[in-house]
Amino acid sequence: MITWIIIGIVVLVLLFIVVGGYNKLVALDQRADQSFADIDVQLKQRQDLIPNLVETVKGYATHERGTLDAVTQARAAAAGATSVNDKVQAENMLTGALGRLFAVSEAYPDLKANTNFQQLSAELSDIENKLAAARRFFNSAVGEFNAVRRQFPTVLFAGLFGFGSDKPFFDVGEGDRAAMNAAPPQVKF
Amino acid sequence: MGAVGLQTHIWANNTRSVILLVTFPILLIGIIYGIQLILMGLGVLPGTGKALSDDMALAASWLGGTIPLALGVAAIWFAIAYFGSQTMVDMLTGARKVERRTEPELYNLLENLAISRGLRTPTLRIIDNDSLNAFATGLHEGQYSITLTRGLVQSLSRDEIEAVMAHELTHVINKDVRTMVIASIFAGIISVLAELVFRALLYSGGGRRRDDNKNALPLILIGVAFAVVGFVLAIVIRMMLSRTREYVADAGAVELTKNPDAMISALRKVEGRSSVKGPDELQQLFLDNQPDGVGLEGLFASHPPIQKRIDALVKFGGGRDPGAWSGEPSPYGGTSVPLAG
Repeated sequence: MITWIIIGIVVLVLLFIVVGGYNKLVALDQRADQSFADIDVQLKQRQDLIPNLVETVKGYATHERGTLDAVTQARAAAAGATSVNDKVQAENMLTGALGRLFAVSEAYPDLKANTNFQQLSAELSDIENKLAAARRFFNSAVGEFNAVRRQFPTVLFAGLFGFGSDKPFFDVGEGDRAAMNAAPPQVKF
Repeated sequence: MGAVGLQTHIWANNTRSVILLVTFPILLIGIIYGIQLILMGLGVLPGTGKALSDDMALAASWLGGTIPLALGVAAIWFAIAYFGSQTMVDMLTGARKVERRTEPELYNLLENLAISRGLRTPTLRIIDNDSLNAFATGLHEGQYSITLTRGLVQSLSRDEIEAVMAHELTHVINKDVRTMVIASIFAGIISVLAELVFRALLYSGGGRRRDDNKNALPLILIGVAFAVVGFVLAIVIRMMLSRTREYVADAGAVELTKNPDAMISALRKVEGRSSVKGPDELQQLFLDNQPDGVGLEGLFASHPPIQKRIDALVKFGGGRDPGAWSGEPSPYGGTSVPLAG
C-alpha cells in the first residue's frame, strides 16, 4: 500500500514538472512569435514607404539606376519572404540597399532639399529605430526561450513536444554589414 | 530554475509574491497563538495547571475556534478598509484630471499603451509638483488612474515618460494596487493586535489579579516572542512584496515599450528627485520611494534601490545603463511633450 502511495506521489510530481515545463515553453514560444509579429509590422511599414521613395529619388538621381533597382528588388524579395530565416535575410539586404541609396543621395542637393524626400527619410529613420527596438526585444525573447528549453529538466522532454531545436535569432548578418560598409557615399560632380 | 530573461524574471517574482501573500494568514495565526499564551500566563484564560508543554498544547487546541473568529473579524475589516482606500487616495493626492484636449501628447501616449494591451484607458492625472514621481491607483476597472508629477513630465523625454506610464500601467494590469491594499490591511490588523498585546502587558504588569498559573513567566515570554516576530515579519513581508511588484512593473514596462533603455534612463532621472509627501499606503504605490536612512532600512523599504532595479533591467531586459543623470535638461524639456523624437 505504502509503496503504491509513494509511486503515485512520484508520478504526480513528475507529471507536475512536465506540465509546468511544457506550459512554460509554450508561453515563451508564443511570446517570441508575438514579438516577431511586432517586427513584421515595422517591416511592412518600411516596405510600403519604399515605392514612394524610389519614385522621388528617380526624379533627381537619374544616374543611379543600379542602386534604385537594387532597392526595388530587395523590397520585392522582402515582401515575398515567408519563413523567419528568409525574412531576416531579405530585410538585411533591403537595409543594405537602402543604406546605399541614402549614401548616394548625398550627391544630389536638390533631392536632399525635396520636402517629400526629407519626410520619407525621417519616417524611415523612425521606423529603423522602432525596428531596432523590436528586434532587440525579439532576440531577448528568443534567447530566453532557448535558455529555458536547454535547462534541466525541461531539456529532457522538450523534444517530445516539438521544442527540439533552438529558435533562430534576428541577426543583422555580418555579410550585409560588410556590404553596407563597402559602399561609401559616392560624390559625383 | 532561475530567471534567464524578462519573462522568467516576471514569473519568478510573481511566484515570490504569492508565497509572501500566503505568509500573512500564517503570521496572523502565530500572533493569535502568542496572544493566547500571554492571556493564559496572565491568568485571564485558564491553564491546565500542569507542565508548560501541556499549557501550550491547550492554547494550540483553542486555535480551532479562535482562527475562524479572527478571520471573520479580518473579513469585516477588509470590507471597510477596501472600499475606504480609494476615497482616501483620491482625497490625499490632490491630483488634477487630464483630458485629451489639454494634454493631447501625454494622453495619446497612455492611450496607445492601453490599446496595445486591450485595456480601457485609465484616467490620467497630474500633480503640480516639482519632484519626479508617478503612481497608479484604483481597485476596479473604471477606477484605475495613473498620476504623474509635473516635474516628471517636464524633465523626461517622450520615450522615458512612455516607460514610466508603462510601468504604472503594468501595476494596473497586475492589480498590484489591490495586492498592496490587501497586504497593508493585513499588516494593519497585525499591528493593532500587537499593540493590544503590549498595552495589556503594560496595564497588568503591576499587580496580577489571578496569578494562578505557575508557568506564567515562560508563557508570557513565549507569547511576546510570537507577537514580536509576527509583527516585525508582517512589516518586512509587506515591503518585500512591494519591492517584488516593482521589479515586475519595471520588466512589464520593457515588455510594453520594447525599450529597456528608456526605463533605465527614466529611473536614472528619478533617482534622488522622487520625494513626494504622502501616507504609507500611498508611498508604496509610487514609481520610486526611498527611505531616508541606510543600512537596515533596506529591509523596510517599499522600493528596491534604483541601482538594483537598473541591474535587473540590464540583466534580464538587455538594457544599457548610461550612468547617473548629470542633471542637464532633456532635449525635449518644456511644458509639453513633443511627439517627434
